[in-house]
Amino acid sequence: MQKWLPRSLVMLLFAALVISMANIGLLDLPRLGRGALNIGRFVGDLFPPDLSVLGAVTVAIVETLQIALVGTLLGFAMALPMALLATPFLFGPTITGAARTILAVVRTVPSLFWGILFVVAVGLGPAAGALGVALYSLGYLGKLLYEIFEGVDPEVLEAVRSVGCNRLQLARFAVLPEAANNLVAQLLFMFEYNVRASSIMGFVGAGGIGFYLLGYIQMLQYDRLLTALVATLVVVILIDRASARLRRMFLLPTSGGVGA
Amino acid sequence: MVLGSSGSGKTTFLKLAKGLLAPGGGTISVLGAPMARPTGRDRLNPRVAYIPQQLGLVRNLSVIDNVLSGALSRVDSARSLFKLFPGGFVDEAHEALSALGIAHKAEEKVYALSGGERQRVAIARALMQQPRLILADEFISQLDPATSSDIMQIVRRIADRGVAIVQTTHEMEVVARYADHVVVLRNGEKVLDRSDSDVLADELAATIRG
Repeated sequence: MQKWLPRSLVMLLFAALVISMANIGLLDLPRLGRGALNIGRFVGDLFPPDLSVLGAVTVAIVETLQIALVGTLLGFAMALPMALLATPFLFGPTITGAARTILAVVRTVPSLFWGILFVVAVGLGPAAGALGVALYSLGYLGKLLYEIFEGVDPEVLEAVRSVGCNRLQLARFAVLPEAANNLVAQLLFMFEYNVRASSIMGFVGAGGIGFYLLGYIQMLQYDRLLTALVATLVVVILIDRASARLRRMFLLPTSGGVGA
Repeated sequence: MVLGSSGSGKTTFLKLAKGLLAPGGGTISVLGAPMARPTGRDRLNPRVAYIPQQLGLVRNLSVIDNVLSGALSRVDSARSLFKLFPGGFVDEAHEALSALGIAHKAEEKVYALSGGERQRVAIARALMQQPRLILADEFISQLDPATSSDIMQIVRRIADRGVAIVQTTHEMEVVARYADHVVVLRNGEKVLDRSDSDVLADELAATIRG
C-alpha cells in the first residue's frame, strides 16, 4: 500500500476544491467580509436575551416534547410488527423483502417532509408534527429493530424453536425478551433524536418551538431567539443525559452469557 | 453417549436429529419415523427435546417462564402470547423445578443463576416437552465435578423413567459411570458403536484419536 497519495491526485483534489469554492461563492472576499460584519451585528443583537418570552417559549418546548414523545411511541408501535415481519428467521424472503422495502422508502423521506405532508393532511399544529415524527421513526426504528432481532443469539433461538413452538411464540418467548434491553435503549435514543427533530417541525407549521425560532429569525428579534435557543438547548442536553443514563441501566445488567 | 474430538460432527449429528439442520443427502429417522426435510421455519417435533451446549435459555425471562416455554406446543397459541398458561401447566412446571431442587428460584431471572442452576432450568424446560428423546450437547462440560455428578444423577433418573437420552461429552469418567451405549464419531463417520457399558477408557481414547 502506498503511504502517500500520488502528487497528480493531490493536485486534482486541490483544483476541485478551488473550483467548487469559487462556484458556491466562498472565494468572494468582499462578500465574506460583509458576512463577518453581519455575524458581528447578529451576535450583538442576540444580547441581552429577552426573557419576557420565556413563558411562551416554555409552553412551546413542552409541546415539542409532547410531539417527540407521541411521535416516538406511535412510530415504535408501527415499527415493532414491521421489524418482526422483516426478520428472516421468522418469515420467508417475500415478506421480509416487502417489509424491508417499505421501511427503506419511509426512512428515505426526511421527517420535515413528513411534517409538510401531514400539515396538508390534518392542518397546521402539533398533530401534524407528531404524525411526521411517527412516520420517520417507523422507518428508522424499524431498521434498528430488525437488526437487533437478527443479532439474537442463534443458540437461544434454536433451543426455543426446538420445543415445537410457532413463529409468534418464538418472537414472544425468545426474540423479544432477548432483544428487550437493546430495544429499550434504541427507543430512548430515538426519543432523543426526535426531540431535536421536533424542535424544527414548527418551521413547516407542524407545532413546537420551531414556530417561535423561525418567527424570531424572520422578524429579526434575535434577543428573543437567544432565549428560545438557550431554553431548547438546556432541555435537549438534560434529556440526552437522562436518556444516556437510562440506556446504560438497560444495557448493563444482562450483558453476560447464559452458558454454564 | 456420543464421543469424538472437536470437529468430529457431534453437534451436527444432534442438530440433524432435531431437525435444525437439513442433511446433505439420505433420510433421517428419529423415534422410528422418517423426518421431513427441515426448512428452517417449520414447527419441530416437541417430543424430541434439545439442550444446546450453552443451554439456550432466555436470560431476560424468569426461570418459570423459561420452563413454561417448554410447553408451548401444547397450549393455545393466542393465550400463550400473553403468558396465560393453564393452571395445570404452571403446576407441572413448578413440580419439575421442585424435582430438580430449584423451585425456590422460580421467579428469578435466568441471568442471575449459577451454572448448575441454569443446567437444571434447561432440563426442566426439556421435561415440559414431555419428551421421548432428549438430545444434550456437552451440557455438563463447563461444570465443576460435584455439580456435574449431581446433574448426571438427574439425567440417570430421567433415563430410568423411559426417556432416551443422547448426550455428547468429552469426559471419560462420565462415560464410564453413566453410559449405556457409546458411539464414537471421527470426521463425521461412526467409528465405534458399543452397547456394553464396560468399554475401556484407553480403548475409547485410542478410537477418538484414530
